[in-house]
Amino acid sequence: MTESFNQAWVLLGVGMVTVFTVLLLVVLIGNGLVLFVNRFLPESESGKPGNAGFKSAIHPSKVAAIVAGVKNVTAGRGNVVEIRKNKKI
Amino acid sequence: MEVLRQLYDMTALGEIGETPGVLLMILIGAVLLYLGIVKKYEPLLLVPIGFGIILANLPGGNMDVVPAEMVELPGHRYMNLFEIASEYGIMNFVYYSLIKTGFLPPIIFMGVGALTDFGPMLRNLRLAFFGAAAQIGIFGVFFGAIALGFSAKEAGSLGIIGGADGPTAIYTTILLAPHLLGPIAIAAYSYMALVPVIVPLVANRLITKKEFRINMKKQDKLYPPKYKIKNLKAVKIIFPIVLGIVVAILVPSSVPLLGMLLFGNLIKEIGTTTSRLSEAATGPIMNTATIFLGLAVGATMTAKVFLDLKTLGIIVGGFLAFAISIAGGILAVKVYNMLAKKKINPLVGATGLSAVPMASRVASEMGLKHDSSNHLLQYCMASNISGVIGSAVAAGVLISILG
Repeated sequence: MTESFNQAWVLLGVGMVTVFTVLLLVVLIGNGLVLFVNRFLPESESGKPGNAGFKSAIHPSKVAAIVAGVKNVTAGRGNVVEIRKNKKI
Repeated sequence: MEVLRQLYDMTALGEIGETPGVLLMILIGAVLLYLGIVKKYEPLLLVPIGFGIILANLPGGNMDVVPAEMVELPGHRYMNLFEIASEYGIMNFVYYSLIKTGFLPPIIFMGVGALTDFGPMLRNLRLAFFGAAAQIGIFGVFFGAIALGFSAKEAGSLGIIGGADGPTAIYTTILLAPHLLGPIAIAAYSYMALVPVIVPLVANRLITKKEFRINMKKQDKLYPPKYKIKNLKAVKIIFPIVLGIVVAILVPSSVPLLGMLLFGNLIKEIGTTTSRLSEAATGPIMNTATIFLGLAVGATMTAKVFLDLKTLGIIVGGFLAFAISIAGGILAVKVYNMLAKKKINPLVGATGLSAVPMASRVASEMGLKHDSSNHLLQYCMASNISGVIGSAVAAGVLISILG
């Protein structure tokens, strides 16, 4: 029994230190990535030309309707990558 | 008369009469079905588990899972799957091929990863620490379990209930104490379903009214974050890759769970390019895995295995592990608040469990009751998601030390 209790103390110590260490690493990795991305891969102010672009130009409810329509017609296989107005029509 | 006797012998009525425990197990299965269907408590798991219990306990059906010793051959060898299926039925085939090998819990974790958004955690990274503090119940209840006569491996399996994560609890138990799989799975999922009751029960006892009213948005305005994320999508894609590598180096035994969680998350975050993979992971694969996991776990719960004093110990110990974990998260926030200028609502600590997103929803609603402008959901989600990582790491520690 005493041996088991000693093991319990070891487990408590090792376990909590490991969990805190891993989550400390989560915080450090997260912060490091944010700094890296902000410095080297920032998204432009106007957003990307693809998805972000059409989202700002077209009302979100219209985008949602188009996406839902495409999903329905293609049985969930299709995805909307870009929405553009056809100027010729 | 002979015909009637033959008919009677063909049915299971005689055997049911001889073993009344079977009736009690069928009743337990029916109660789980009721909770899942009518009360809607974790129906995706409790319905298959409940039905699996009923199937396993009907005599003659050959749907009960037999102990590992029965499939063991001389010379530390085991029967092959074909032999298991023909000797003990299809449920044993499912159990020994998909559960005993530890295959299904990581597959479910992949689906969970594809449903998880690390965004709230990445926006509030310091809150991730409370996901660590809330794992104290896993290790804390170990002492009580040892005192109650559980072996170290059994105590570890019992403690993992405190992580509030079904697949993690099942995975750990398969590796440490497979004979307790049924009761531990039931306790884990039941307490997860009871999060709306247990979180307020603990939080109302430990958090003062003043602390309940700590408004996180106002704190953010008073002490704004140092920097904003300029490309969240890129961070979300790189994060699971880097974290996966680091965790694999530090706690390799947690990789089957955490690695699959992070892989699932990666295919979700990449977007349209891999959307078919994430749809498969969250849809057909996860659903199929859930069905087999639930039925097979239910089928381990025969009267002989379940009607035991240890089951009672698991139910009580599981609750304590759960409550201690919630209390650990809350107390960690209180300690933090004593040292920091920027205060945190202790409800954020209460959600350091990995019962996502129910714990966050419950804590958020509690916060709104005390201050209708205090929207805590995104903050609670930060510690809640880190709790998923924390409980998987804790499971890895248990497996590597006790396994």
